[in-house]
Amino acid sequence: MIRNRNKLYFFLFTACIFGYVWLYLNFSNSNINSGITACYFKNLTSLPCPSCGSTRSAVSILNGNFIDAFLINPLGFIVVTIMFIIPIWILLDLILKKDSFFNFYKTSEKKLQKPIIYIPLLVLILANWIWNIKKLL
Amino acid sequence: MDAQKVDMFMMTNAKFFESHQVYNIRNILLEIDESKWIYISSIQFKDPTNMLIVSILAGAWGIDRFLIGDTGIGIGKLLTCGGFGIWAIVDLFLIMGATREKNLETFMMHARL
Repeated sequence: MIRNRNKLYFFLFTACIFGYVWLYLNFSNSNINSGITACYFKNLTSLPCPSCGSTRSAVSILNGNFIDAFLINPLGFIVVTIMFIIPIWILLDLILKKDSFFNFYKTSEKKLQKPIIYIPLLVLILANWIWNIKKLL
Repeated sequence: MDAQKVDMFMMTNAKFFESHQVYNIRNILLEIDESKWIYISSIQFKDPTNMLIVSILAGAWGIDRFLIGDTGIGIGKLLTCGGFGIWAIVDLFLIMGATREKNLETFMMHARL
């Protein structure tokens, strides 16, 4: 679907803005656990999905509680890093009129399709999911 | 390529492509060399209907996007519970078109070999 540089940048930029709005809404809400559950898998089955809790984890990171964030959901670190890096990288690319991020996206997509890379990641995600279910997030 | 072979290919595989692409695909097939028939006829295309089923069942984790090869979007969906559930629903309508686009890419890759 996304083989066009500007389309990809626009898509990721809007996604990041939505993410920031969502994080701000959760960050300004002092009692995190009373927040709305957006995950429809959790609403349907009452079991957490692999990435449930990443909002709470991201809020903990922003508050400086790194250990809490790791115990809630380690995926929060990945989400925060991606959300921090992507807008800066895209803006730099747009200003300097390069497509370094687009090339990076394409090469990493190809690398991730190799079994030797995606199988360990899949195992990690499944382990995280089992941990999530045990913690009853 | 032989018109009979091309028509046979089109009859069995037209459902894997967008309707507006079918005419161009037929023209490309008529132009290319006969020796590529063995490659072209052995391509496995992804069925849009299967992807729709996957999207309904496991779209919230981006499995549909991983299967058609959109790994980047797949990771995005996986990390955000299917884009807070919204993107997963939007994808129910987009996934069949996206699968057909991917099929065209695979076809073009083999036709140019």
